Amino acid sequence: MVRFGIELVPSEPYWKIIYYAIQAERGGFSNLWITDHFNDRNVYVTLTAAAIYTSRITFGPGVTNPYMVNPVFTAQAVATLNELAPGRVVLGMGAGDKTTLESVGVEMQKPLTAVREAVDIFRKITIGESVAYRGDVFRTAGARFLFKPRGGIPVYVGAQGPRMLELAGKIGDGVLINASHPKDVEYAVNCVREGVRQAGKRLDEVDVAAYTSFSVHEDLKRATKAAVPVVSFIVAGSPAVLLERHGIDVGEAGEIREALRANDWGRAFAGVTPEMIGAFSVCGTPDTCIERINELLRSGITQFVVGSPIGPNVREAINLISERIIPHFRG
Amino acid sequence: MDYRKLIELVSVAKREALSNKLIDVILLSKNDEKMPSSLANTILRHWQSDTLMSESALSALLEAAVLLEPDKTASAFMELELTDSAQQIREAVSKT
Repeated sequence: MVRFGIELVPSEPYWKIIYYAIQAERGGFSNLWITDHFNDRNVYVTLTAAAIYTSRITFGPGVTNPYMVNPVFTAQAVATLNELAPGRVVLGMGAGDKTTLESVGVEMQKPLTAVREAVDIFRKITIGESVAYRGDVFRTAGARFLFKPRGGIPVYVGAQGPRMLELAGKIGDGVLINASHPKDVEYAVNCVREGVRQAGKRLDEVDVAAYTSFSVHEDLKRATKAAVPVVSFIVAGSPAVLLERHGIDVGEAGEIREALRANDWGRAFAGVTPEMIGAFSVCGTPDTCIERINELLRSGITQFVVGSPIGPNVREAINLISERIIPHFRG
Repeated sequence: MDYRKLIELVSVAKREALSNKLIDVILLSKNDEKMPSSLANTILRHWQSDTLMSESALSALLEAAVLLEPDKTASAFMELELTDSAQQIREAVSKT
């Protein structure tokens, strides 16, 4: 049975995030993912509040990266959370966003290696090992916690490109596929499957999550309007090969990118077409969202994550998902 | 303004609707910085224990809503035909 996750972005104050987290837990969501961007509120402070105010939902950073925070510190934060809410904590680790990293002067070196090594260090140190590690990106000389970590924290790897997806399948307990369209998710699951095969695992041993841009409302126009800003950024950041897979004009995408660079939101958002919305979001009424989720399920995903914007009114959207969408998949 | 007294005047039948309206006012507000953390925590504790329709929770919601969005709060009361309460909120806000 598919699980439902929710992504919340701490650009909102903690009390709004926690309100939605409690609502999501009560509404049948099983996973809470809090994004990690240096320009929002801190992910671990937000997760701590989530740990205190919820009692069942599984949660973690979705996703952090090994560049901005050394993996030893990430392990420390996540292991401490796992004391606060034992067995409910997971780690989401990805390579990060190049533009964001550059804005703070951090170079994204060897992303595949960095993620692999970070996960390796995380796993070792969170089971209490003393870690002497000589990797290509990270080195530790007997790093060890002075407390006894509980260990057993599942690691999800966030991925979009084929090589990172393959790595995610190989090393992850779960994979967060950054895609919303069945074509992209199917392609991604095949890459994950290859990684799983190389690791001698079975695909059903890995929680494969579609981490989507999602917008639901009873009124299709309102759902779509809410999705436009998020989709404009996705289109602007998508490589040509991905745009072409969906028949999206690369030139039109370039115009959106230019408009966003110029902070001309009106022009950028006006350039978003229905095809772009369809390619890069799960958007519509509850019934149309159910149809799309069903298509994604056929690709082999086991978790469906509703990501930003969730809906024009987040509280209403969580209610719609809890009352109309999740029950549909629970039979 | 005595928030508790204002809430006590609201009939039990209208409290669920009022609670929903006030929550929307608060969650949709852009004036986040006006929310005192102690008040936010009180509201979250009520939400955690599913008691957002209790008098003390409604009082906290009302206080937060007035701090963040006084006009929208009065309008919410008007929509529920709680005219006297809406008037009291408007008068109290105009004095501050």
